[in-house]
Amino acid sequence: MKRILAFLLTLVMVFSLAATAVAEDPAAAAQAILDGKTFERTYNTYFSSSYASFNYYSTSYATVREIVANCIDGLVEPDIYGVYQPSLAESWTVNEDQTVWTFKIREGLKWVDHTGAETEYALTAQDFVDGIRYIGDPLNDAYSLRVVRNLISGLYDYYWLLDDIDCGNVTDKNRDEVVASFDEMVGVKAIDEYTVEYRLENSAPYFLSLIESSMLMLPVEYDYAMAMGDDFAVDNEHMLYCGAYYVSAFERDKAITLTANPHYWDLEHITLDTVEYQMIPDGTTSLEMFKRGMTDYTSVEAEAYDSLVGTEWEDNLLPTDHSFSTNYLWLDFAGENPEFNAFINNENFRKALLYSMDREVLAALREPIDPSRILRNTINAEGAIYDSNGVDYTDYEPLKTIKETNYNQPDLAREYMDKAIAELCDADGNIIGVEPTTVDYLPVCSFDVDGKLPVTICYVGTDDEGEIIMAQLFKAMIEESLGAENVDFQIQAFSGWTYGTVADPLNYDIYFDSLSTGYADPSGILTRITTDGAENVGKYNVPEFDALIEKALAAPTFEERLQYFAEAEAYICDNGFIIPFISSLRGYYMSYSVPYTSPLTLYGNSKYKGTLVMAEPLTQEEFAILDTAYEMEREKALSNAE
Amino acid sequence: MENTEKNISLNPLKFRAKVFDQIASEDTGYSNYSYWRSTFRTFFKNKAVMVLVILIVAIIVMSFVYPIISDIDPNKVALKRKEWNQRPSWEHWFGTDTLGRDIWTRSWYGVRNSFLLAFCIALSDVGIGMIVGAIWGYNKKLDPIMIEIYNVITNIPSTVYLVLLAYIMNTSYLTLFISMASRGWIVEARFFRNRILSIRDSEYNMASRCLGTPMRRIATKNIIPHIISLIIMEAALCIPYSIGSEVFLGFVGVGLPVEAITLGNIVNQGRASFTLHPYQMLLPTIILCIITVAFYVIGNKFADASDPRNHV
Amino acid sequence: MGKYILKRTLNSILTVAIVFVAVFMLLRLMPLSGYFPQEMLKETDEATRMTYLRNQGLLDHPLVQLGRFVKNLFKGDLGRSLTVYPKVPISTLLKEKIPVTAAFGFASMLLGIVLGLSLGMLMVRYKDRWGDRLGTGYILAVRAIPSLIYLFFIQVWVSLWLNLPMVFDKDIPSSWILPVICLSLGSIAWYALWLRRFMVDEENKDYVKFALVKGLPKKEVWRRHIFKNAIIPLVIYLPSDLLFIISGSLVIETLYAIPGTGGLLTTAIKNQDNNLVQIIVLMYAVLSVLGVFLGDLLVAAVDPRITLTEDK
Repeated sequence: MKRILAFLLTLVMVFSLAATAVAEDPAAAAQAILDGKTFERTYNTYFSSSYASFNYYSTSYATVREIVANCIDGLVEPDIYGVYQPSLAESWTVNEDQTVWTFKIREGLKWVDHTGAETEYALTAQDFVDGIRYIGDPLNDAYSLRVVRNLISGLYDYYWLLDDIDCGNVTDKNRDEVVASFDEMVGVKAIDEYTVEYRLENSAPYFLSLIESSMLMLPVEYDYAMAMGDDFAVDNEHMLYCGAYYVSAFERDKAITLTANPHYWDLEHITLDTVEYQMIPDGTTSLEMFKRGMTDYTSVEAEAYDSLVGTEWEDNLLPTDHSFSTNYLWLDFAGENPEFNAFINNENFRKALLYSMDREVLAALREPIDPSRILRNTINAEGAIYDSNGVDYTDYEPLKTIKETNYNQPDLAREYMDKAIAELCDADGNIIGVEPTTVDYLPVCSFDVDGKLPVTICYVGTDDEGEIIMAQLFKAMIEESLGAENVDFQIQAFSGWTYGTVADPLNYDIYFDSLSTGYADPSGILTRITTDGAENVGKYNVPEFDALIEKALAAPTFEERLQYFAEAEAYICDNGFIIPFISSLRGYYMSYSVPYTSPLTLYGNSKYKGTLVMAEPLTQEEFAILDTAYEMEREKALSNAE
Repeated sequence: MENTEKNISLNPLKFRAKVFDQIASEDTGYSNYSYWRSTFRTFFKNKAVMVLVILIVAIIVMSFVYPIISDIDPNKVALKRKEWNQRPSWEHWFGTDTLGRDIWTRSWYGVRNSFLLAFCIALSDVGIGMIVGAIWGYNKKLDPIMIEIYNVITNIPSTVYLVLLAYIMNTSYLTLFISMASRGWIVEARFFRNRILSIRDSEYNMASRCLGTPMRRIATKNIIPHIISLIIMEAALCIPYSIGSEVFLGFVGVGLPVEAITLGNIVNQGRASFTLHPYQMLLPTIILCIITVAFYVIGNKFADASDPRNHV
Repeated sequence: MGKYILKRTLNSILTVAIVFVAVFMLLRLMPLSGYFPQEMLKETDEATRMTYLRNQGLLDHPLVQLGRFVKNLFKGDLGRSLTVYPKVPISTLLKEKIPVTAAFGFASMLLGIVLGLSLGMLMVRYKDRWGDRLGTGYILAVRAIPSLIYLFFIQVWVSLWLNLPMVFDKDIPSSWILPVICLSLGSIAWYALWLRRFMVDEENKDYVKFALVKGLPKKEVWRRHIFKNAIIPLVIYLPSDLLFIISGSLVIETLYAIPGTGGLLTTAIKNQDNNLVQIIVLMYAVLSVLGVFLGDLLVAAVDPRITLTEDK
């Protein structure tokens, strides 16, 4: 503890020293740091779970995004401050109500193959249309299709028409004819060779961030993909590249080499010739290998953090930047457990749960030094969505109140619990209207309930070690603040594809999960969790929330839209229908690369374009100076952009 | 010829005819050799074995007594970060784990649960294996069918049916027991069948049978003692093995409830922090090692001791 | 002889067929939602999921699926992976992974045999003296300490002391050393244990005593009689071991990031990748019966006392 305190003090000193030293001219101080360095042309990093395939349309593997982000460019790309700049599109225009977006594609570009040689395939507007054509065909099994399918006009109908034909539900139409009618049916068009136009179902001011985040909006060379068939993008040799890098070597489950694309349109901003990935499945191993100079980056988990304090590496520990993914608890409103059902539909009980946990202790599992940094009481992350005046979405009232509430109030939780018991139980502790029964949550678990207090709660998480530890903390906290005589919290850890066996068939009472703000609009998450939303896993019924979402979607201005969304989000959080508590951010990292040199990809995956890699690891002091300078520059850049 | 005969003729003064004694005549047919007494005498003559037996009895007694006399809750989670991962101290002899639970306490609960589980599995594997093996060995007609069953069971990867089992059953001691006991019996059955056949057909038993010893006597005097020593050895080896395989089952997802404390669970959950806090693994590993080594040595030495050739 | 081989072959085919059909049908008992990764389940509605399942042919009757599988198999088409490596041809996967694992398996098997047999002979040579104690200590240590713990220890600390790479890299020859050693630790103990056991058994046999009494040099007796006879029961496992070098070790391959087949089956089963599971199970079943068969043939070839005829 003393050491941690000492460390905190030094950290504060370093930061304040740095701040005073550079107060006059942070940019010059930052420049001074960079001037003294030599930069490498190769970056060694690692991946921890395998790259199943590179097919950017039909994969759910988050790891694949990292490779694809560097190998296939989209229409636009954020700069280092997060402002959208031209990428494959030279320029773009949008109509008044933001439903028609037109992009002018850079001319004369060609797709390259895995040797870096130019192919005969030119990169044209048609390739973007074909990307949508590819995912619109159910036979191609595109993943994460919902958002794009519902947004681009006509795509929904096109997809389901083809599906109906495949099922045999529709027999009076010919599949080939429907496929041929894609250009008429679906609102994406190549106006000329280098102009592509997207027509959307609704107004989408966030469309550029969707382009950044969704791999489904990437282009494809259709003839090539069709010729490859099922082989398309199963490895590096069966795909084409148009990004800053191409995959020059691929050894499945072992190594990936990215090599700079010599025909890239923005060659001057490529600072690394090669990026070498190797498989390191274990966090301890990556840390050890970083110490031995075998990789240029390693994440540092909370547990490992303590072991580095007081060593030569202490000075290189840097706080991880941001995560828009939020961890939260799903509550099951329609499960088979009658005890829990009786209570969860009671507002007081939900509030009791809401106030029962010490979120800082939970956060300390991931961020040992400053746990409050990763607390999050809202579903959408702070810093993800801004209105046109630059006001953060989470600063809209009443969401702001939620964001700033301290939910660690065990006494209040106990009060709510007592109220709930008074409403739901008779004097002997029998829950009114609940008979003893056996709850069948198989394959997760099955257990007997007796219709009396304590209320049996079946918590389900994955068998991930960190999650099990968190679950045990949940249990200790909830039983302590609500009283072990009132709640019996049972932990079930489940392996495999948890979601399919646990959440979807409602085999749980409380379930641990995460949601991520996918693009710069609250609708990304909020429309999915309405009463009949795809992600309403707990099957709650909240008409008030739905009504607010309807209003938001119909709102004439973006600000009003955000206001309604904020009200809706505050409503569903404050009433404890779902319980967000921390962000998915994991503590610290060490690296040889200079921060803030690559595009600020808030919604998509990081890119290596522009990244500077030093000969020695970055120190906390350097980081502090660079950070100050960057924040100032960013503010300027963002205000210029508006 | 005649001369010599005369010379060696008995002197009636020196020799007298003995009255025939029915009881004493029986005595010469048998020594006072008792198989089991000799076995145990040979077994306990070895000092190392004595030490190990005492040690293992002590560990088992401790693991059953400690949870009764101790008032520390092995699942008590500390809500303060500074109580997590504590180093060994007077309060916590072997430190605390990731959530501040006392490792000393958890280890004894773990030993108790793991041992009980392993004991049941040994009992079922060897028990069922023994019975099936005896029937199999006795009845030659069963041979092709049994061999086919053996081949099929041992050739289906256990993961396949373990995962299926995990789908249809709760995580509980019973599930773990079923999944661990699902395959061992057939392996043991084959082992016993081979041993029974080879003992039955061994030369001394054939000879004995030719001399007219009834089969029942051969079975009780020659086959069963041998088999019992095998049973004890197999059971002894089975216990450390099943403790070890808990770890693998946890990986497949047929493990125990999170809160159940077994040596397998402790080792599994402490794996990640092993390099950072090696002392957390110290006690469970030492106990696990002692149990394994002790049962292994005891099993082997008992087999040696039960071999009549080693008897004095 | 020819008749024997024919009969064994037919028998083996039957075993493989039963195993395969059993696994095939067991896999069809898994819930449909298991075919989807979490992200896909969340993003898609029921209808899209059904579309996917129909495209993959998973909604057909299991027997139809079985028929299609067998038909494709005879055409040489192993199919494509479903969930673990979506759409990657299984033949490609196996072609990539088997050589890596086999190379490690072969190296470690060789090391295991050489070191294991040497240790075993050392133990017999110095029976009940230092050599024997050293060997027994090693065997017990390998069995008793949970393998996860010593493997982790070797990877983190031994690699530091000896300055060896922590993960496998095909361009650095020294990166082979630790994984091969780790892979062979168990088999060294196995060979040493059984060679010692069989040699001690042989040593006590009358013909050996007779040969020594007759005046044959001790070395000669050892080399020509004891060792030869003791190795025969080990030879029977050789073909199986050799064939199964392609199966790999889950833990060691994960630790050293070896892109082999080690975790393939377990991962495939856990992720319900039917196509992949079927092929691997089929492959292993074939190898297993083939291994036993070759083992019998090999023993018959090296041991003149054994002939392969119909009746025993």
